Amino acid sequence: MKLLLKKSIKEHSNSVWSLSVKKNDTTGQPLLLASGSSDKQVKIHSLTSDNYNLYETLDSTVHKKTISSVSWRPNTLNNQLILAASSFDTTTSIWGKEEEETDFELLALIEGHENEVKSCQWSHNGRYLATCSRDKSVWIWEADEFSEEFECVAVLQEHDQDIKNVAWHPDQLMLATSSYDDTVKIYIPYDDDWECVASLEGHKGTVWCSAFESGLDFNTRLVTCSDDLSLIVWELIEDSIDEDEGQIWEIQSKLPDYGHSRQIYGCAWNEKNGLIASVGADGKIVIYKETRGKGSGEWSIVAEQNDAHSVYEINCVIWIDEKTLATGGDDGLIKIWSLN
Amino acid sequence: MSDFINENPNVLDETQLPKRSLDSSSSTIYERDDDDYYTNSNFINLCSSKTNKRLANILQDTDYEESQSSVLKDITDLNKLLTLQNNIDNSGDPLVKEDVEMEDNDSEDTKENNAIERELIDAQEIYDLIAHISDPEHPMSLGQLSIIKLGDIEITDLPDSPQTQMKDLLIRITPTITHCSLATLIGLGIRVRLDRALHPKYRPTIILKPGTHQSENQVNKQLNDKERVAAACENDQLLNVIRKMLSTCK
Repeated sequence: MKLLLKKSIKEHSNSVWSLSVKKNDTTGQPLLLASGSSDKQVKIHSLTSDNYNLYETLDSTVHKKTISSVSWRPNTLNNQLILAASSFDTTTSIWGKEEEETDFELLALIEGHENEVKSCQWSHNGRYLATCSRDKSVWIWEADEFSEEFECVAVLQEHDQDIKNVAWHPDQLMLATSSYDDTVKIYIPYDDDWECVASLEGHKGTVWCSAFESGLDFNTRLVTCSDDLSLIVWELIEDSIDEDEGQIWEIQSKLPDYGHSRQIYGCAWNEKNGLIASVGADGKIVIYKETRGKGSGEWSIVAEQNDAHSVYEINCVIWIDEKTLATGGDDGLIKIWSLN
Repeated sequence: MSDFINENPNVLDETQLPKRSLDSSSSTIYERDDDDYYTNSNFINLCSSKTNKRLANILQDTDYEESQSSVLKDITDLNKLLTLQNNIDNSGDPLVKEDVEMEDNDSEDTKENNAIERELIDAQEIYDLIAHISDPEHPMSLGQLSIIKLGDIEITDLPDSPQTQMKDLLIRITPTITHCSLATLIGLGIRVRLDRALHPKYRPTIILKPGTHQSENQVNKQLNDKERVAAACENDQLLNVIRKMLSTCK
């Protein structure tokens, strides 16, 4: 397979840190791509045309520092467009669009973290928003259907160091958090509360990002990427009903380790075809395929792109559909790639 | 902050810092082989030091302007280098130096390759960029305090590999005391300086010299955490301190 550059979008003037794809909740058709950058801007591009036209730029006076993360809310009331954007300025903003003709409006500004918010993501059902920060805490917020009221339902302080990323399972209420303390923690709701049920220890450096495999028919799996130049696929082996036992996760496989030569900052698991994509400080995009079928745990590299953002580092990667992915780099570019 | 204890043997005068020397009057650096930064076993950049020595010898033996030396005729690169060095030394300004290189390339390379094709960066050039950064708590530069040593800078400026155009750059810093609480600040200052002055293809890794700090691994991890560096660079207070540190850069 080969990666071909479909489009290079030059809208940001500084590093792009995060991307989020809004899909039609019913058909799954990709509609919009949001991006957050060190230029303090959130941009939204259309995914329904081949030109990836700029759809809107959010009011840039709200955040005073880098936008670290963006996330679209799924399953909204009347399919309203709702976006969360977290910032190094310690806050997370919630944006909504009333009608097609109006601009995105600021609906809420969530405060609570002491330091930079590093990542935010909505749960699959759109009910919860998770945020994490350098203050070593993860907050879970329950949102009302209008995305205006946010109640903090849990403050999770399981990590010893700053938390780089939060990732929800695409089909169930399960959260993974990646940290500077080299671990990944897993949380699930339990008796009106949220419990840390597993600590995944195996990386030898900061874990930057994680992504769950979609589907509920097989054992739950999670891919994580790290400063230690490795990507690990973890498998949930035993899910004890007893709270004290927690969950047992094991390393199912390590992805081929010749893929990256510098820190790996982003990974994404394709929900349809099971391909994994990773990007990092070496400017490379690597695509992995499970060669002996889903669940086999044998992975090989099926496509690579060197210097995908010329000499710049790549911070994030996201699948738009089975054959298309987007990357964001320190050159301020968003690049759309097609896998043939 | 505790009393200033410099574990390095001596504080260097500004004029004693290692520099590129082209005329015999300032070639003292090559006579001072007993100095710790030259006898350092880690002195990696042999190539560039050899080149420099050769240049110095040629210049001592012949009149540069009218040189008929066969060495110069044979080594075309050297000639180019000499002109460049001369300009640099006359200007003494790293910013001007970059301009000179750009101009040089304009005449020889296609314009779009300009930025990529500049291949003349060596450890000395990196040293010149960062040695004049002021120490955050002493009225001296990092070079003078031997926090930065020429021999502790490694740069791989080989021709582009088919894989990538990025170049690795490794800088080991030697804090003045093993519990120096400002080691991360010094490292951050170096990183900011390099990010501003160097072509983006360079990937600086900044680490403490092994055995020079109590919390070596912690400091190293922090110094090379991209997100923490990015966040630090948005902290106005910190930026002001760094601005002061960098104000003495030449």
